[in-house]
Amino acid sequence: MTGYDTAGRIQNTYVSAHREFGANPGFWIRYFTPSPAADLFHEAALAESRGAWDSGGPYVGCISAPRQSRLSGSAAEGHADAQAFAAALLTAYHGVRPLLLPTNGQLYCWLDQEYSTSLSTSYWSAWASYIVDYNFAGLGTYPLYPCLYCAPYSPYPNCSTIAKSRGVNKPVAIWSSTPEPCGSLTRPPRWNAAHCAVIPTRLWQFGEQGVCNLSANVDLDVGAPGFAMANYCFRLKYRP
Amino acid sequence: MRSRKRGKSVWPRGPGGGVSALSRREVLAGGIGAGALLALPDLSSGASSGARPVVSGRAAARYAFVYGTPDLDEVPSGSLVAARYPPPRAASTRPVPVATKLAAAPVSSPDHAVTALVTVDMVHGGAKVTLTLLDATGATVAKQGSLTVTGVPGDAHVLVTPVFAPGSAIVSLVLAITVPVGKHVVRKGHPDTGHPVPRLATAWRSHHALAYFDQRSGAMTGPFHLSDEPSLALSTAAANGSDLLLWTTREPQPNDPAAVQAHASLSRLSVFPLGSGKARLSTSAPAPWPGGEPVVTLPTGDVARLVRGRHVQVCSVRTGEVTELEIPALREGRAKPSAVTMQARPDGTVFMTKPGAGVAVLADAADSFRTKTHIQFPVPASPLGAPWSKAVLSPAGETMYVLGPAATGGLCAYEVGSGKLAGSYSEGRQYHGLYQLPSGALLATRPENPRLAFFSADLSPLGTADTNLHVSAIY
Repeated sequence: MTGYDTAGRIQNTYVSAHREFGANPGFWIRYFTPSPAADLFHEAALAESRGAWDSGGPYVGCISAPRQSRLSGSAAEGHADAQAFAAALLTAYHGVRPLLLPTNGQLYCWLDQEYSTSLSTSYWSAWASYIVDYNFAGLGTYPLYPCLYCAPYSPYPNCSTIAKSRGVNKPVAIWSSTPEPCGSLTRPPRWNAAHCAVIPTRLWQFGEQGVCNLSANVDLDVGAPGFAMANYCFRLKYRP
Repeated sequence: MRSRKRGKSVWPRGPGGGVSALSRREVLAGGIGAGALLALPDLSSGASSGARPVVSGRAAARYAFVYGTPDLDEVPSGSLVAARYPPPRAASTRPVPVATKLAAAPVSSPDHAVTALVTVDMVHGGAKVTLTLLDATGATVAKQGSLTVTGVPGDAHVLVTPVFAPGSAIVSLVLAITVPVGKHVVRKGHPDTGHPVPRLATAWRSHHALAYFDQRSGAMTGPFHLSDEPSLALSTAAANGSDLLLWTTREPQPNDPAAVQAHASLSRLSVFPLGSGKARLSTSAPAPWPGGEPVVTLPTGDVARLVRGRHVQVCSVRTGEVTELEIPALREGRAKPSAVTMQARPDGTVFMTKPGAGVAVLADAADSFRTKTHIQFPVPASPLGAPWSKAVLSPAGETMYVLGPAATGGLCAYEVGSGKLAGSYSEGRQYHGLYQLPSGALLATRPENPRLAFFSADLSPLGTADTNLHVSAIY
């Protein structure tokens, strides 16, 4: 399954993306507070959701990209960032009536660790444990699962950090940003995502707009063989 | 200025080549939260932009503090070292450890004379918060003060943000205090099988408190607890010579009425007279929620925050009224989000960068943030990754330095007046952060040792230094 991530507006992007790739995406991954571009979904959740529905990919995944130097920091910083992320997800959930949790009860929550960012164990452990324990909407089902977007072969600490995490604080999945062979939505490269030693890579960003000279304002992602990313995203039951 | 290419580092390097300016007593002990800091001396003050500085180790007048994560994750979070500026044609020096396990990233004063570190220690009866001000001229402890937040359990999180006030000796501390309010056995689906697995889950509740440190007397006052529970711990704060401005957001609750749930929580802006725990003004604040956005205090005393990567919200410190202005040159968005930075300059202009869009702007704060100059440049590698400083302006404002294009690495210099490329340097290495030290020297950071590379204002390599830190920021 292939889909997009973008810091652009879905409703302003999907037409040009469809024109470029000739197909509907399986999912969209959006930025949530605290993060650059988080305002797009936070301040216009309805329009964004309509855009996702109209694109033919009515599944909205969730990533947060805090100020990256914070990822080197303390447990208090990780805890605060996760708290804001969860609150932003809850706000979107309440703000768009047909935006529902995944049927499998697992909403993947990605922390964005960029190539040149170092992840400390204190930050990750506090971030992950808050996500794991969050009683989303008071449902009592605890549907948030911590995951990590990173470049596994970066010289900065990423895989080595999460390897030290224990129990439910281990990320459920890695979303790898490397390598970048490019390709298209309908013809992704053969699965060759970089990976950490102990956590499976389940999503691969195989083509960034800037690197692959895409005209549409999207990056391209593909799930691991047998893994459907849409099943771990918010889903739209009908057009809002 | 001309284009330069080097096959390898010009100056010999190696740890231990220099003499530390810090005595053992001056090095802060560990055990203070979660981070690390190093210090290294800058060039002597007064070296002019555009000239290759001449400096000796004895003449070094300032230090640069390097914040990051140690190799092999020797400590669980950020550390700080003081890095020595390497004299030309001399062996490079290894930065001096200053602090480990910092509770939060350091904060520099507007004039970069001091850098604030905060540590939090759980002690009997509460959380001991210690503020340490490091003097940049000697990398020594200039002032230190502490307070204890009583009644805080040992597993609480206390996030402390120091806020300098231009024109005032008062340093405000914004404390976000998050405590566990319940532990319950819950059943959470196993990520692989989906089968419910019992586990102990903790629920948390946050509120804020304020404290104030007087740099003259060394007195700490507070904490003053604010009645903003339940609040998100993330906040934004800035200060002028008389007031502290604080943006906070109510944490949405599962049992909120439907009418409340349907709308995103509004943030609040509160204005506190420096030294006070009682707001003289509190009003709803326009979106977005606070948390990590750049913020500067303007010469008028008003405060500007850069939001959505393209809008400046100017907040009147007198009325709390917010005026939102768009910066047209920052409008462009791409699939990949970008770091954004904003710095107030002594001449009243504001320098903003958005490296992911390949643009920097110099705006006139006194004229509704009218764009005076905007410079376009190729997007560097890792435009969102740490450190967020990818482009800097020379002290005179004539030259902008920026990391080189992702394809070639190195550094580039642009004439601010014309926006044209004035020079470049590349040896094929990718740098990920770029800073200009008060002397005018440039400091670039890279993934592998030597992680610190110094350049003159004409992009001549001056030397390198090793450090055990993966660099997240320079102060």
